[in-house]
Amino acid sequence: MRLFPVLLVAHGRVARRMGLGPRSRLDMLRNLLTALVRHERIETTWARADELRFYAEKIIEYGKRGDTNEKAMKIADFWLTEKDLIHKLFKVLVPRFSLNSGSYTNMYHIPNRENLDRAKMAVIEYKGNPFPPLPVQKKDNDKTLINQLLLGYRLENGLQRSPTSA
Amino acid sequence: MSLCWAEMRCRAMMAGICSLRAIRGRFYSVATATKLTNAEISQRRSALFEKEKERQLSLNPLIEKIEVAHVGKADPGTVFLMNKGISTPYNCAMHLNEWYCAKSVLALVDGELWDMYKPLTKSCKIKFLTFKDEDPEEVNKAYWRSCSAILGHVLEQAFKDDYIVNLVRAPEIPVIAGAFCYDVVLDPKLDEWQPTKENLHSFTRDALKLIRQDLPFECLEVEEKVARDIFQHNPYKLMCLEEKAAQHPEGKVTLHRFGEFVDLTEGPHIPRTSFCMQYEVTAAHSIVNISTEHVRRFQGLSLPWHLQAYHTVWNKLRIRAQKLVTETQSTESEPAV
Repeated sequence: MRLFPVLLVAHGRVARRMGLGPRSRLDMLRNLLTALVRHERIETTWARADELRFYAEKIIEYGKRGDTNEKAMKIADFWLTEKDLIHKLFKVLVPRFSLNSGSYTNMYHIPNRENLDRAKMAVIEYKGNPFPPLPVQKKDNDKTLINQLLLGYRLENGLQRSPTSA
Repeated sequence: MSLCWAEMRCRAMMAGICSLRAIRGRFYSVATATKLTNAEISQRRSALFEKEKERQLSLNPLIEKIEVAHVGKADPGTVFLMNKGISTPYNCAMHLNEWYCAKSVLALVDGELWDMYKPLTKSCKIKFLTFKDEDPEEVNKAYWRSCSAILGHVLEQAFKDDYIVNLVRAPEIPVIAGAFCYDVVLDPKLDEWQPTKENLHSFTRDALKLIRQDLPFECLEVEEKVARDIFQHNPYKLMCLEEKAAQHPEGKVTLHRFGEFVDLTEGPHIPRTSFCMQYEVTAAHSIVNISTEHVRRFQGLSLPWHLQAYHTVWNKLRIRAQKLVTETQSTESEPAV
Protein backbone atom coordinates (compact mmCIF):
# COMPACT_ATOMS: atom_id res chain seq x y z
CA MET A 1 0.00 0.00 0.00
CA ARG A 2 1.38 3.35 -1.01
CA LEU A 3 1.11 5.86 1.80
CA PHE A 4 2.36 9.30 2.52
CA PRO A 5 5.43 9.46 4.76
CA VAL A 6 3.40 11.38 7.37
CA LEU A 7 0.90 8.55 7.56
CA LEU A 8 3.64 5.99 7.93
CA VAL A 9 4.98 7.87 10.91
CA ALA A 10 1.52 8.04 12.50
CA HIS A 11 1.75 4.90 14.58
CA GLY A 12 -0.74 2.17 14.00
CA ARG A 13 -2.62 4.03 11.28
CA VAL A 14 -1.87 2.09 8.12
CA ALA A 15 -4.94 3.01 6.11
CA ARG A 16 -6.58 6.17 4.90
CA ARG A 17 -9.59 7.48 6.77
CA MET A 18 -12.43 7.61 4.25
CA GLY A 19 -16.17 8.00 4.30
CA LEU A 20 -18.13 8.79 7.47
CA GLY A 21 -16.24 6.41 9.75
CA PRO A 22 -14.58 3.00 9.82
CA ARG A 23 -17.81 1.16 9.10
CA SER A 24 -18.68 3.51 6.26
CA ARG A 25 -15.21 3.03 4.83
CA LEU A 26 -15.56 -0.75 4.85
CA ASP A 27 -19.00 -0.57 3.24
CA MET A 28 -17.68 1.64 0.49
CA LEU A 29 -14.74 -0.68 -0.16
CA ARG A 30 -17.06 -3.71 -0.09
CA ASN A 31 -19.17 -2.17 -2.80
CA LEU A 32 -16.09 -1.34 -4.82
CA LEU A 33 -14.64 -4.83 -4.41
CA THR A 34 -17.96 -6.37 -5.45
CA ALA A 35 -17.91 -4.21 -8.56
CA LEU A 36 -14.28 -5.17 -9.23
CA VAL A 37 -15.01 -8.89 -8.96
CA ARG A 38 -18.02 -8.51 -11.23
CA HIS A 39 -16.49 -6.31 -13.92
CA GLU A 40 -12.79 -7.12 -13.39
CA ARG A 41 -11.85 -3.55 -14.36
CA ILE A 42 -13.26 -0.46 -12.66
CA GLU A 43 -12.54 3.23 -12.61
CA THR A 44 -12.53 5.15 -9.33
CA THR A 45 -10.52 7.78 -7.51
CA TRP A 46 -6.90 7.00 -7.02
CA ALA A 47 -7.05 6.91 -3.22
CA ARG A 48 -10.00 4.50 -3.21
CA ALA A 49 -8.38 2.26 -5.81
CA ASP A 50 -5.20 2.22 -3.76
CA GLU A 51 -7.11 1.25 -0.61
CA LEU A 52 -9.11 -1.32 -2.52
CA ARG A 53 -6.05 -2.99 -3.94
CA PHE A 54 -5.04 -4.50 -0.60
CA TYR A 55 -8.45 -6.12 -0.10
CA ALA A 56 -8.67 -7.24 -3.75
CA GLU A 57 -5.42 -9.13 -3.35
CA LYS A 58 -6.31 -10.45 0.10
CA ILE A 59 -9.61 -11.95 -1.04
CA ILE A 60 -7.77 -14.02 -3.65
CA GLU A 61 -5.26 -15.13 -1.03
CA TYR A 62 -8.08 -16.37 1.19
CA GLY A 63 -9.88 -17.85 -1.82
CA LYS A 64 -6.86 -20.05 -2.46
CA ARG A 65 -7.68 -21.95 0.73
CA GLY A 66 -10.61 -23.44 -1.18
CA ASP A 67 -14.40 -23.09 -0.95
CA THR A 68 -14.59 -25.73 1.79
CA ASN A 69 -12.53 -23.56 4.13
CA GLU A 70 -14.70 -21.85 6.68
CA LYS A 71 -12.57 -18.70 7.00
CA ALA A 72 -12.34 -18.27 3.22
CA MET A 73 -16.09 -18.56 2.84
CA LYS A 74 -16.68 -16.10 5.67
CA ILE A 75 -14.37 -13.53 4.09
CA ALA A 76 -15.98 -13.98 0.67
CA ASP A 77 -19.44 -13.72 2.15
CA PHE A 78 -18.56 -10.48 3.94
CA TRP A 79 -16.76 -8.75 1.08
CA LEU A 80 -19.01 -9.71 -1.82
CA THR A 81 -22.38 -8.08 -1.28
CA GLU A 82 -23.87 -9.80 -4.34
CA LYS A 83 -23.83 -13.45 -3.47
CA ASP A 84 -23.67 -14.86 -7.01
CA LEU A 85 -20.09 -13.54 -7.16
CA ILE A 86 -18.91 -15.99 -4.48
CA HIS A 87 -19.16 -18.70 -7.09
CA LYS A 88 -17.18 -16.56 -9.57
CA LEU A 89 -14.45 -15.89 -7.01
CA PHE A 90 -13.81 -19.57 -6.25
CA LYS A 91 -14.38 -20.98 -9.73
CA VAL A 92 -12.95 -18.25 -12.02
CA LEU A 93 -10.58 -15.89 -10.27
CA VAL A 94 -8.82 -18.23 -7.85
CA PRO A 95 -8.02 -20.87 -10.51
CA ARG A 96 -6.72 -18.06 -12.77
CA PHE A 97 -4.18 -17.01 -10.15
CA SER A 98 -3.34 -20.49 -8.90
CA LEU A 99 0.15 -20.30 -10.35
CA ASN A 100 1.20 -16.82 -9.26
CA SER A 101 1.63 -15.66 -5.72
CA GLY A 102 0.78 -12.04 -5.01
CA SER A 103 0.31 -9.11 -7.38
CA TYR A 104 -3.03 -10.10 -8.86
CA THR A 105 -4.10 -6.57 -9.74
CA ASN A 106 -2.94 -3.72 -11.96
CA MET A 107 -3.47 -0.09 -11.22
CA TYR A 108 -3.11 2.75 -13.71
CA HIS A 109 -3.23 6.47 -13.25
CA ILE A 110 -5.71 8.13 -15.63
CA PRO A 111 -6.51 11.83 -16.25
CA ASN A 112 -8.14 13.73 -13.42
CA ARG A 113 -11.90 13.83 -13.13
CA GLU A 114 -13.38 16.74 -15.08
CA ASN A 115 -17.14 16.90 -14.40
CA LEU A 116 -17.39 16.87 -10.60
CA ASP A 117 -14.05 17.87 -9.16
CA ARG A 118 -10.44 17.48 -10.19
CA ALA A 119 -9.95 14.25 -8.30
CA LYS A 120 -7.00 12.08 -9.17
CA MET A 121 -8.46 9.04 -10.91
CA ALA A 122 -7.27 5.51 -11.41
CA VAL A 123 -8.22 2.26 -13.08
CA ILE A 124 -7.87 -0.96 -11.11
CA GLU A 125 -8.21 -4.37 -12.72
CA TYR A 126 -7.59 -8.04 -12.08
CA LYS A 127 -4.83 -9.41 -14.26
CA GLY A 128 -5.82 -11.75 -17.05
CA ASN A 129 -9.19 -10.07 -17.61
CA PRO A 130 -10.88 -10.41 -21.03
CA PHE A 131 -10.69 -6.67 -21.89
CA PRO A 132 -8.20 -5.26 -24.36
CA PRO A 133 -5.05 -4.02 -22.60
CA LEU A 134 -4.91 -0.38 -21.56
CA PRO A 135 -2.47 1.82 -23.48
CA VAL A 136 0.44 2.15 -21.10
CA GLN A 137 3.33 4.50 -21.59
CA LYS A 138 6.25 2.34 -22.60
CA LYS A 139 9.50 2.39 -20.74
CA ASP A 140 12.72 3.01 -22.65
CA ASN A 141 13.70 -0.13 -24.48
CA ASP A 142 16.96 -2.01 -24.01
CA LYS A 143 18.59 -0.54 -27.06
CA THR A 144 18.78 3.09 -25.95
CA LEU A 145 22.21 4.56 -25.38
CA ILE A 146 22.15 4.51 -21.60
CA ASN A 147 20.60 1.04 -21.41
CA GLN A 148 23.30 -0.28 -23.72
CA LEU A 149 25.97 1.27 -21.51
CA LEU A 150 24.39 -0.27 -18.43
CA LEU A 151 24.06 -3.62 -20.17
CA GLY A 152 27.76 -3.52 -20.99
CA TYR A 153 28.50 -2.67 -17.36
CA ARG A 154 26.42 -5.58 -16.09
CA LEU A 155 27.92 -8.03 -18.56
CA GLU A 156 31.41 -7.00 -17.59
CA ASN A 157 30.70 -7.31 -13.88
CA GLY A 158 28.96 -10.64 -14.42
CA LEU A 159 32.04 -11.87 -16.22
CA GLN A 160 34.25 -10.66 -13.44
CA ARG A 161 32.12 -12.22 -10.73
CA SER A 162 31.71 -15.68 -12.23
CA PRO A 163 35.36 -16.88 -11.85
CA THR A 164 35.45 -15.94 -8.14
CA SER A 165 32.13 -17.63 -7.35
CA ALA A 166 32.92 -20.79 -9.33
CA MET B 1 75.24 36.72 -51.01
CA SER B 2 74.88 33.87 -53.45
CA LEU B 3 76.46 31.49 -51.00
CA CYS B 4 74.04 32.56 -48.34
CA TRP B 5 71.07 31.89 -50.66
CA ALA B 6 72.38 28.46 -51.47
CA GLU B 7 72.72 27.69 -47.81
CA MET B 8 69.15 28.76 -47.11
CA ARG B 9 67.80 26.70 -49.98
CA CYS B 10 69.75 23.73 -48.72
CA ARG B 11 68.17 24.16 -45.28
CA ALA B 12 64.73 24.36 -46.80
CA MET B 13 65.45 21.14 -48.67
CA MET B 14 66.52 19.48 -45.46
CA ALA B 15 63.34 20.56 -43.74
CA GLY B 16 61.36 19.13 -46.60
CA ILE B 17 63.10 15.80 -46.31
CA CYS B 18 62.66 15.70 -42.57
CA SER B 19 58.97 16.17 -42.98
CA LEU B 20 58.68 12.95 -44.99
CA ARG B 21 57.17 10.55 -42.52
CA ALA B 22 56.90 6.81 -42.70
CA ILE B 23 53.58 5.20 -41.81
CA ARG B 24 53.16 1.46 -42.28
CA GLY B 25 56.11 1.41 -44.63
CA ARG B 26 54.64 4.08 -46.92
CA PHE B 27 55.91 7.61 -47.16
CA TYR B 28 53.68 10.65 -47.06
CA SER B 29 55.11 14.07 -47.75
CA VAL B 30 53.70 16.59 -45.34
CA ALA B 31 53.89 20.34 -45.72
CA THR B 32 56.43 21.83 -43.35
CA ALA B 33 54.41 22.90 -40.40
CA THR B 34 57.27 24.29 -38.37
CA LYS B 35 55.79 27.78 -38.31
CA LEU B 36 52.09 26.92 -38.06
CA THR B 37 50.59 26.19 -34.67
CA ASN B 38 47.69 23.85 -34.08
CA ALA B 39 45.24 26.73 -33.84
CA GLU B 40 46.44 28.22 -37.10
CA ILE B 41 46.18 24.87 -38.87
CA SER B 42 42.61 24.36 -37.74
CA GLN B 43 41.70 27.93 -38.69
CA ARG B 44 43.13 27.30 -42.13
CA ARG B 45 41.13 24.09 -42.46
CA SER B 46 37.96 25.83 -41.40
CA ALA B 47 38.56 28.67 -43.86
CA LEU B 48 39.13 26.22 -46.73
CA PHE B 49 35.99 24.34 -45.75
CA GLU B 50 34.01 27.59 -45.76
CA LYS B 51 35.43 28.57 -49.14
CA GLU B 52 34.56 25.22 -50.69
CA LYS B 53 31.06 25.36 -49.22
CA GLU B 54 30.44 28.81 -50.71
CA ARG B 55 31.82 27.65 -54.05
CA GLN B 56 29.45 24.69 -54.10
CA LEU B 57 26.49 26.89 -53.18
CA SER B 58 27.33 29.37 -55.94
CA LEU B 59 27.27 26.58 -58.57
CA ASN B 60 23.45 26.54 -58.63
CA PRO B 61 22.16 30.09 -58.37
CA LEU B 62 18.63 29.08 -59.42
CA ILE B 63 16.47 27.72 -56.65
CA GLU B 64 14.55 24.56 -57.51
CA LYS B 65 11.67 23.20 -55.46
CA ILE B 66 11.43 19.61 -54.24
CA GLU B 67 8.64 17.78 -52.47
CA VAL B 68 9.49 15.98 -49.25
CA ALA B 69 6.97 13.58 -47.73
CA HIS B 70 7.04 12.80 -44.03
CA VAL B 71 6.83 9.19 -42.86
CA GLY B 72 6.21 8.47 -39.21
CA LYS B 73 3.72 7.59 -36.51
CA ALA B 74 2.60 11.17 -35.98
CA ASP B 75 1.77 13.45 -38.92
CA PRO B 76 2.21 10.83 -41.67
CA GLY B 77 1.91 11.97 -45.25
CA THR B 78 2.73 15.61 -44.59
CA VAL B 79 4.35 17.08 -47.69
CA PHE B 80 6.89 19.89 -47.46
CA LEU B 81 7.82 22.08 -50.40
CA MET B 82 11.53 22.66 -49.90
CA ASN B 83 14.47 24.23 -51.73
CA LYS B 84 16.79 21.83 -53.49
CA GLY B 85 20.34 21.89 -52.18
CA ILE B 86 19.52 24.45 -49.47
CA SER B 87 16.80 23.05 -47.22
CA THR B 88 17.82 20.48 -44.66
CA PRO B 89 15.84 17.88 -42.71
CA TYR B 90 15.99 20.32 -39.80
CA ASN B 91 13.97 22.83 -41.85
CA CYS B 92 11.34 20.14 -42.42
CA ALA B 93 11.27 19.49 -38.67
CA MET B 94 10.76 23.20 -38.06
CA HIS B 95 7.59 23.03 -40.18
CA LEU B 96 6.21 20.22 -38.02
CA ASN B 97 6.74 21.29 -34.41
CA GLU B 98 9.33 21.93 -31.76
CA TRP B 99 9.33 18.31 -30.62
CA TYR B 100 10.88 17.24 -33.92
CA CYS B 101 13.49 20.02 -33.77
CA ALA B 102 14.54 19.14 -30.24
CA LYS B 103 14.45 15.35 -30.41
CA SER B 104 15.47 14.43 -33.96
CA VAL B 105 19.05 13.27 -34.11
CA LEU B 106 19.21 11.90 -37.63
CA ALA B 107 16.91 11.71 -40.60
CA LEU B 108 16.19 8.71 -42.77
CA VAL B 109 15.94 10.02 -46.33
CA ASP B 110 14.67 7.31 -48.70
CA GLY B 111 16.18 4.71 -46.35
CA GLU B 112 19.53 6.47 -46.24
CA LEU B 113 20.95 7.99 -43.06
CA TRP B 114 21.14 11.74 -43.36
CA ASP B 115 22.48 14.49 -41.12
CA MET B 116 19.93 16.98 -39.82
CA TYR B 117 21.99 19.82 -41.32
CA LYS B 118 22.79 18.19 -44.67
CA PRO B 119 20.90 19.79 -47.59
CA LEU B 120 18.37 17.61 -49.38
CA THR B 121 19.16 16.94 -53.02
CA LYS B 122 15.96 15.45 -54.44
CA SER B 123 12.30 14.79 -53.80
CA CYS B 124 12.18 12.10 -51.18
CA LYS B 125 10.52 10.54 -48.17
CA ILE B 126 11.81 11.59 -44.78
CA LYS B 127 11.66 10.03 -41.35
CA PHE B 128 13.13 11.45 -38.17
CA LEU B 129 15.14 9.27 -35.81
CA THR B 130 15.42 9.92 -32.09
CA PHE B 131 17.26 8.44 -29.11
CA LYS B 132 14.11 6.72 -27.87
CA ASP B 133 13.13 4.89 -31.07
CA GLU B 134 12.45 1.16 -31.18
CA ASP B 135 15.91 0.52 -32.60
CA PRO B 136 18.17 3.53 -31.98
CA GLU B 137 21.39 1.75 -32.94
CA GLU B 138 22.35 4.11 -35.76
CA VAL B 139 21.51 7.12 -33.61
CA ASN B 140 23.72 5.77 -30.84
CA LYS B 141 26.55 5.27 -33.29
CA ALA B 142 26.17 8.82 -34.57
CA TYR B 143 26.21 10.14 -31.02
CA TRP B 144 29.37 8.22 -30.15
CA ARG B 145 31.01 9.49 -33.34
CA SER B 146 30.14 13.09 -32.55
CA CYS B 147 31.45 12.75 -29.01
CA SER B 148 34.73 11.45 -30.46
CA ALA B 149 34.84 14.47 -32.74
CA ILE B 150 34.40 16.80 -29.77
CA LEU B 151 37.22 14.95 -28.02
CA GLY B 152 39.38 15.40 -31.13
CA HIS B 153 38.69 19.13 -31.18
CA VAL B 154 39.57 19.43 -27.51
CA LEU B 155 42.83 17.53 -27.91
CA GLU B 156 43.84 19.61 -30.91
CA GLN B 157 43.35 22.89 -29.09
CA ALA B 158 44.39 21.95 -25.57
CA PHE B 159 48.18 21.97 -25.91
CA LYS B 160 50.53 24.92 -26.04
CA ASP B 161 51.71 26.18 -29.42
CA ASP B 162 55.16 24.52 -28.99
CA TYR B 163 53.66 21.05 -29.19
CA ILE B 164 52.33 19.62 -32.42
CA VAL B 165 49.29 17.37 -32.12
CA ASN B 166 48.42 14.98 -34.92
CA LEU B 167 45.03 13.36 -34.75
CA VAL B 168 45.15 9.83 -36.15
CA ARG B 169 41.52 8.75 -36.30
CA ALA B 170 38.45 8.05 -34.21
CA PRO B 171 37.90 4.28 -34.17
CA GLU B 172 34.27 3.17 -34.25
CA ILE B 173 33.78 1.76 -30.77
CA PRO B 174 30.46 0.00 -30.08
CA VAL B 175 28.41 1.76 -27.40
CA ILE B 176 28.30 -1.38 -25.27
CA ALA B 177 32.08 -1.18 -24.82
CA GLY B 178 31.45 1.79 -22.54
CA ALA B 179 33.55 4.62 -23.96
CA PHE B 180 34.34 6.48 -27.15
CA CYS B 181 37.89 7.38 -28.04
CA TYR B 182 40.22 9.34 -30.28
CA ASP B 183 43.72 8.23 -31.27
CA VAL B 184 46.37 10.94 -31.20
CA VAL B 185 50.08 11.22 -31.84
CA LEU B 186 51.51 13.95 -29.64
CA ASP B 187 54.72 15.86 -30.08
CA PRO B 188 57.85 13.72 -29.48
CA LYS B 189 58.71 16.12 -26.66
CA LEU B 190 55.67 14.81 -24.78
CA ASP B 191 56.56 11.11 -25.03
CA GLU B 192 57.34 10.88 -21.32
CA TRP B 193 54.25 12.80 -20.24
CA GLN B 194 51.49 10.90 -18.51
CA PRO B 195 48.18 12.77 -18.23
CA THR B 196 47.15 13.32 -14.63
CA LYS B 197 43.62 13.53 -13.27
CA GLU B 198 43.85 17.33 -13.41
CA ASN B 199 44.88 17.23 -17.07
CA LEU B 200 41.90 15.07 -17.97
CA HIS B 201 39.65 17.35 -15.98
CA SER B 202 40.91 20.33 -17.94
CA PHE B 203 40.09 18.48 -21.20
CA THR B 204 36.61 17.84 -19.83
CA ARG B 205 36.14 21.52 -19.11
CA ASP B 206 37.20 22.42 -22.65
CA ALA B 207 34.69 19.92 -24.02
CA LEU B 208 31.92 21.32 -21.86
CA LYS B 209 32.76 24.80 -23.16
CA LEU B 210 32.29 23.52 -26.72
CA ILE B 211 29.00 21.88 -25.76
CA ARG B 212 27.75 25.11 -24.22
CA GLN B 213 28.55 27.00 -27.43
CA ASP B 214 25.90 24.90 -29.20
CA LEU B 215 27.89 24.49 -32.42
CA PRO B 216 26.18 22.90 -35.44
CA PHE B 217 27.79 19.98 -37.29
CA GLU B 218 28.07 20.89 -40.97
CA CYS B 219 28.50 18.35 -43.69
CA LEU B 220 30.20 18.77 -47.07
CA GLU B 221 31.16 16.43 -49.88
CA VAL B 222 34.38 17.51 -51.59
CA GLU B 223 36.83 16.35 -54.24
CA GLU B 224 39.88 14.46 -53.06
CA LYS B 225 42.13 17.32 -54.19
CA VAL B 226 40.42 19.84 -51.93
CA ALA B 227 40.44 17.46 -48.99
CA ARG B 228 44.14 16.86 -49.57
CA ASP B 229 44.72 20.58 -49.36
CA ILE B 230 42.69 20.83 -46.16
CA PHE B 231 44.55 18.00 -44.42
CA GLN B 232 48.00 18.68 -45.85
CA HIS B 233 49.60 19.00 -42.41
CA ASN B 234 48.37 15.68 -41.07
CA PRO B 235 49.88 12.52 -42.58
CA TYR B 236 47.43 10.17 -40.86
CA LYS B 237 44.40 11.98 -42.21
CA LEU B 238 45.97 11.97 -45.68
CA MET B 239 46.27 8.19 -45.50
CA CYS B 240 42.64 7.77 -44.38
CA LEU B 241 41.58 10.19 -47.09
CA GLU B 242 43.26 8.12 -49.79
CA GLU B 243 41.47 4.98 -48.62
CA LYS B 244 38.12 6.73 -48.49
CA ALA B 245 38.49 8.34 -51.90
CA ALA B 246 39.36 4.93 -53.38
CA GLN B 247 36.15 3.45 -51.97
CA HIS B 248 33.90 6.23 -53.27
CA PRO B 249 32.79 5.75 -56.91
CA GLU B 250 33.50 9.38 -57.88
CA GLY B 251 36.59 9.76 -55.71
CA LYS B 252 34.91 12.17 -53.34
CA VAL B 253 35.18 12.35 -49.57
CA THR B 254 32.74 13.67 -47.00
CA LEU B 255 33.89 16.14 -44.38
CA HIS B 256 32.24 17.37 -41.22
CA ARG B 257 32.91 20.59 -39.42
CA PHE B 258 31.81 22.02 -36.11
CA GLY B 259 33.31 25.22 -34.79
CA GLU B 260 36.78 25.28 -36.31
CA PHE B 261 37.27 21.55 -36.32
CA VAL B 262 37.18 19.80 -39.69
CA ASP B 263 37.34 16.02 -39.81
CA LEU B 264 36.92 13.16 -42.23
CA THR B 265 33.56 11.53 -41.88
CA GLU B 266 32.95 7.97 -40.78
CA GLY B 267 29.19 8.49 -40.86
CA PRO B 268 26.45 10.95 -39.93
CA HIS B 269 26.72 13.16 -36.86
CA ILE B 270 24.26 14.62 -34.35
CA PRO B 271 22.91 18.08 -35.27
CA ARG B 272 24.48 20.22 -32.53
CA THR B 273 27.00 19.88 -29.74
CA SER B 274 24.37 20.92 -27.19
CA PHE B 275 22.74 17.50 -27.58
CA CYS B 276 25.44 16.28 -25.19
CA MET B 277 24.67 16.83 -21.54
CA GLN B 278 27.05 14.86 -19.36
CA TYR B 279 30.55 14.66 -20.82
CA GLU B 280 33.82 13.55 -19.35
CA VAL B 281 37.26 12.66 -20.65
CA THR B 282 38.02 9.60 -18.56
CA ALA B 283 41.39 8.16 -19.52
CA ALA B 284 44.41 8.19 -21.78
CA HIS B 285 46.19 4.98 -22.76
CA SER B 286 49.26 4.33 -24.85
CA ILE B 287 48.83 1.89 -27.71
CA VAL B 288 51.94 0.81 -29.52
CA ASN B 289 50.77 -1.82 -31.97
CA ILE B 290 49.76 0.61 -34.74
CA SER B 291 53.20 1.89 -35.65
CA THR B 292 56.52 2.77 -34.18
CA GLU B 293 55.20 6.14 -33.05
CA HIS B 294 53.72 6.73 -29.65
CA VAL B 295 49.97 6.61 -30.29
CA ARG B 296 47.76 7.56 -27.40
CA ARG B 297 44.10 6.71 -27.09
CA PHE B 298 42.03 9.29 -25.21
CA GLN B 299 38.72 7.98 -23.96
CA GLY B 300 35.57 9.62 -22.76
CA LEU B 301 31.99 9.06 -21.72
CA SER B 302 28.97 11.14 -22.53
CA LEU B 303 25.19 11.08 -22.36
CA PRO B 304 22.68 13.25 -24.22
CA TRP B 305 20.20 15.44 -22.36
CA HIS B 306 17.41 13.12 -23.54
CA LEU B 307 18.88 10.24 -21.52
CA GLN B 308 20.48 11.45 -18.34
CA ALA B 309 21.91 9.26 -15.64
CA TYR B 310 21.69 9.68 -11.88
CA HIS B 311 25.08 10.54 -10.41
CA THR B 312 25.65 7.13 -8.82
CA VAL B 313 24.97 5.39 -12.15
CA TRP B 314 27.08 7.94 -13.99
CA ASN B 315 29.94 7.30 -11.58
CA LYS B 316 29.83 3.56 -12.23
CA LEU B 317 29.83 4.10 -15.98
CA ARG B 318 32.62 6.65 -15.65
CA ILE B 319 34.86 4.23 -13.78
CA ARG B 320 34.18 1.59 -16.39
CA ALA B 321 35.06 4.04 -19.19
CA GLN B 322 38.61 4.32 -17.81
CA LYS B 323 39.50 0.86 -19.13
CA LEU B 324 41.09 0.68 -22.55
CA VAL B 325 38.46 0.03 -25.21
CA THR B 326 39.10 -1.71 -28.51
CA GLU B 327 37.02 -2.05 -31.64
CA THR B 328 36.61 -5.82 -31.28
CA GLN B 329 35.62 -5.83 -27.61
CA SER B 330 31.91 -6.55 -28.06
CA THR B 331 32.44 -9.56 -30.31
CA GLU B 332 34.77 -11.10 -27.74
CA SER B 333 32.51 -10.60 -24.74
CA GLU B 334 29.21 -11.71 -26.27
CA PRO B 335 29.84 -15.45 -26.77
CA ALA B 336 31.16 -15.75 -23.23
CA VAL B 337 27.84 -14.62 -21.72
